[in-house]
Amino acid sequence: MLPIALLGATAAVGAAAQAGPAEDYALHCMGCHGVNAQGVPGKVPPLAHSLVRFMNSVEGRRYVLRVPGAANSMLSDARLAAVLNWVVAQFDAGDLGRATPQFGAQEVAANRHRPMAGVLATRAAVLKEIAAGGPAPAAEY
Amino acid sequence: MQRLDRIFESSARSLAQRTSRRSFIGVLGQILTGSLLIPLLPIDRIQRAEAATGPEGSPAAPGKVPAAAKGKSASKPYTEDQQSCEYWKYCAIDGFLCSCCGGSSHTCPPGTQMSVVSWIGTCHNPADGRDYIVSYNDCCGKASCGNCDCYRNERERPLYRLSRNNDVNWCMANTGSDYHCTVSVILGSAGP
Amino acid sequence: MRTMQAWAALLALVANGGAVASDPLPPEQFGMEPLPARTPHWIYVVDSAFMNEIDSRVRLYDADTHGHLGQIDAGFFPGVTLSPDRNTLAVGTTYFARGGHGERTDVVEFTDTTTLAITGEIVLPPKRAQATPTSFNLGYSSDSHFLYVAYITPAASFGVLDPVSRKVLGEIDTAGCVLVIPWGPDHVSSICDSGRLLTVRLDAHGNEVSRALSDLFFDVDTDPLFVQGIPTDQGCTFLSFLGKVHEVDFSGPEPVIHPPWSLVSSSEAGHWRPGGQQLGAIQRRMGRLYVAMHRGGEGSHKQGGTEIWVFDLGTHRRLARWPVATLKLAPVTAVQVSQDEAPLLFLASDSVASVATLDALTGQLRHLDRNLGQTPWQILNP
Repeated sequence: MLPIALLGATAAVGAAAQAGPAEDYALHCMGCHGVNAQGVPGKVPPLAHSLVRFMNSVEGRRYVLRVPGAANSMLSDARLAAVLNWVVAQFDAGDLGRATPQFGAQEVAANRHRPMAGVLATRAAVLKEIAAGGPAPAAEY
Repeated sequence: MQRLDRIFESSARSLAQRTSRRSFIGVLGQILTGSLLIPLLPIDRIQRAEAATGPEGSPAAPGKVPAAAKGKSASKPYTEDQQSCEYWKYCAIDGFLCSCCGGSSHTCPPGTQMSVVSWIGTCHNPADGRDYIVSYNDCCGKASCGNCDCYRNERERPLYRLSRNNDVNWCMANTGSDYHCTVSVILGSAGP
Repeated sequence: MRTMQAWAALLALVANGGAVASDPLPPEQFGMEPLPARTPHWIYVVDSAFMNEIDSRVRLYDADTHGHLGQIDAGFFPGVTLSPDRNTLAVGTTYFARGGHGERTDVVEFTDTTTLAITGEIVLPPKRAQATPTSFNLGYSSDSHFLYVAYITPAASFGVLDPVSRKVLGEIDTAGCVLVIPWGPDHVSSICDSGRLLTVRLDAHGNEVSRALSDLFFDVDTDPLFVQGIPTDQGCTFLSFLGKVHEVDFSGPEPVIHPPWSLVSSSEAGHWRPGGQQLGAIQRRMGRLYVAMHRGGEGSHKQGGTEIWVFDLGTHRRLARWPVATLKLAPVTAVQVSQDEAPLLFLASDSVASVATLDALTGQLRHLDRNLGQTPWQILNP
């Protein structure tokens, strides 16, 4: 078993294997979002340099927790929070990443099960809101 | 630090800027030239593992692993043969082994492209007793290879759980989406 | 003298090959064999031709005459469905411009089932779900007004098509839920990783009016649902990995999901499981469910059946177990049954490419055909 210190905020409730967020990213996200969280142009949105901006907006944070890959993920609320925080720390380790409020299990639980009707339409609306306040991820991907 | 953390650490710091989006295999290839390659096991460890494990293969399988309807599946002892369906890394491979098609267990045959999306699973290696995270990428852009058809489905799940599904063409997001064969690429060891 | 004449006549007869002052065979007509009138014992066998995937086929077979009636080409990773009136076979598929490579075109091709001639097509955006064939890769609305096609890019959605004017009307984002189960004139349900059904209702132009998620009815982690549901008169019946039966009723304004019942007893549970591609079929008139069952554990869910178990849908009692080995059949990967009063059971195997025809009442083998495809994974019975 890994020492608890290494698990940090990713301690999963009731998980048999204490997998960390890097492993969770590999098993639950990386297949589509890519080893560099770069996505696939036109098909899969990037997370690198993008997730961090969503997480800095109220509607962006709600959106990110409701997208199918997050909402339907096999990960518990705590582990989903941890893997999203890990993505920011891993790929956006600069000032913006450090200033971005982390997700916790409670916020995840409050949002992930609110089904989203049109993912792309919601994304477009959220991006408009983000752009009004500063740099936003590209609408097209 | 976890082994898998090191994949992303080296990836993010040294590769993110240099590596284009073009090729998943290009990125992975660079990662795997690092210190995370699993060393070849000495013969005596393999023999001890064979004696200990028997035909079960995965610890997650509650009963005997049954023979598949087509192709072969793991009802035989441990093998080092990477052109055999029973090879431990192929525990949920559905398709033709690229190792029989001009590629290897983890590289695509010449003239084909690795799929830009994949599904990622875990397989148990009886030789060292560890679970490994593997990426099942398809090799794309040519017609079906037709050799070494394997059909294993350990921990595979239906289409609504796409991240665990091998019924779909993982070449789907490539420009040339014709399916040729499948690889299984070790990403790192799983768990503690 | 008469005897010698008789002998001479006999010899002449033999020399002429038995013909008596024979005329030559008349010239034959050129032309195309017309398709006979459809019977309840016709089946369409979807052959995904896994070894040569760009060349998949649908073969039309008459189980009464054991006759191959014809073929419909099906491209790469096809989905196949019949129109409600059974006069059209729609194939959703992919073609590459240079055979095994080249520009990808996704298309629905329409074939007239009375002539097997292609009558037209609709070109789709290159988003079609390239997945193994089920009853729900594409499907018509009950009034034939819409045709829906499942998309996976890997994002999940479905296309809404007008099969009459042969146009793509639009696309509905399903937020990760997959496949298209049409019901009524304007409802489409999809299966979600959250253990629910998503149902979208459309207006007359194919735009979304509303959507709703059902209650949770299956646990993806402990007992996943097979996506290969079996259409019924009321709706659809799904089987799970561990042998539960989930009957869904689409006859009302929203889906009603009945409490599940089990194919297996407590001693059989975990050991005997449904498996294969098209795992089961329902004879609607008799209320009978036929399921391909095998002994196995985790990872065996696509293994073909070594027995066909027969259930009464009213009482949930098992009526019979038919071992396929004693019929000299290979494990069964697809099951279908005809809906007439003398029903036939069709069993396909992809390990030894063959389709067997059985009496659906007695389980007696009538015929085995080894030429119905390379990997027959789905059988349609119009």
